[in-house]
Amino acid sequence: MINYHPNEQLLALHIAGELPLSMSIAISAHAELCSICQQNLNQLNDAASDEAFQITNSTAEIDTDMSDMLEQLMSTTLDDLDNYHGRAEPDGVDHVTIKGDTFKIPRALRQQVNHPWQGIGKVSRLRLDTGEDKARASLLHIAANGEIPEHTHKGTELTLLLAGEFFDEFNSYQPGDFILLDENHQHSPKTIDGCLCYTIVDAPLYFTKGFSKLLNPIGELIY
Amino acid sequence: MENIQPQTAQNRYDRTMNVKRNGAIKVSNKNELGPEQLSELMINVANSRCKASFAKLFNHFGAKINSFGNQRLHQQGLAMDLVQETMTRVWTKAHLYNPDKAAVSTWVFTIMRNQCFDMLRKVQHNKEDAFGDDIWPLFDSDDAENNEDDFKLTGTLLQHVNDLPPLQRQIVQGIYMQEMTQQELADKLNIPIGTVKSRLRLGLEKLKGFMEKHYD
Repeated sequence: MINYHPNEQLLALHIAGELPLSMSIAISAHAELCSICQQNLNQLNDAASDEAFQITNSTAEIDTDMSDMLEQLMSTTLDDLDNYHGRAEPDGVDHVTIKGDTFKIPRALRQQVNHPWQGIGKVSRLRLDTGEDKARASLLHIAANGEIPEHTHKGTELTLLLAGEFFDEFNSYQPGDFILLDENHQHSPKTIDGCLCYTIVDAPLYFTKGFSKLLNPIGELIY
Repeated sequence: MENIQPQTAQNRYDRTMNVKRNGAIKVSNKNELGPEQLSELMINVANSRCKASFAKLFNHFGAKINSFGNQRLHQQGLAMDLVQETMTRVWTKAHLYNPDKAAVSTWVFTIMRNQCFDMLRKVQHNKEDAFGDDIWPLFDSDDAENNEDDFKLTGTLLQHVNDLPPLQRQIVQGIYMQEMTQQELADKLNIPIGTVKSRLRLGLEKLKGFMEKHYD
């Protein structure tokens, strides 16, 4: 049973599309493993669509643009789209292989695996390129009987266990567990059978202060 | 010029497309459509590539998407891009819409939010990322996977294929008995691939209905 879930606030921000890519990948991947959160997300999605589409007033200025666009769509674009068969689904992978073990990965990660594994000993890391300055997202593999030395986090660390198991001073974890630890937590994760995790590290602003447009990279872009 | 009498949906569409003011087609936003009407329109688009139905969906959602885009993208031009990108995806991905799973408005919202997410990343990183649909799938991926795991009933199921309406039977037989791809069928029958997909879905749903009736 999955014991650790993203909180309501993260789920709502995810549905609104207001989280950075690294965090939305984590929520989506968790929901693929957790039917409870998937259900919650479905309900939030319904509510968000009701709210977004409540607005009905349009202004005269956009009416002309809108009608021009519709005319263009109706006269040529829609036919062009139907006649154009070249558009392929984006490339991607549905599994990763590391040290002889193959793992199925969540859909949200399928276009993200673009770098080689790196590592020493039993710990291997595959960096994801999410383009965010403040957060580093990776796949982390720990081989059987491996461990990560005791460490604290300067910022916050998110660990989403995708496969296998690990345990630390606090608990033991199973696939789907969504574990957020802040800088006050020290821990030394160990695994007996080996595990694959998705991790985001050094991302204090994202998680500990909640959503604020001034702190969010999307907000930085706009303001 | 304005006709205040109740009109059929078809007439409203005709007026929308034909009445021109200052050279522009007047788009009417006055008529809000209910969930059943929206669902009917969406199914017309999926099954018949019905442009008239698409135009009504456009009139219903266009200004709303623009308004959402203005809140998120803070730029009028980008908001109109969001309308264009969202509505063209409504057209090209219509076959993925499943009325049993979601209201049309929820489905369109999902497309819009995904597209908005990708647009923001594009502005931010100057990358042609298209990750939104991976993160918030437009269809229930479980459905596709679960279809493959039951071989025992296949024989019984095939007996019911002959009971399908001809257009759906043709597609189901092409895919499952002649093992043609959806694209090959679309080319052979000279119909859009979206129509193949939607006929296939309707056919399979009907088969499922047969099975439930007989084996529940």
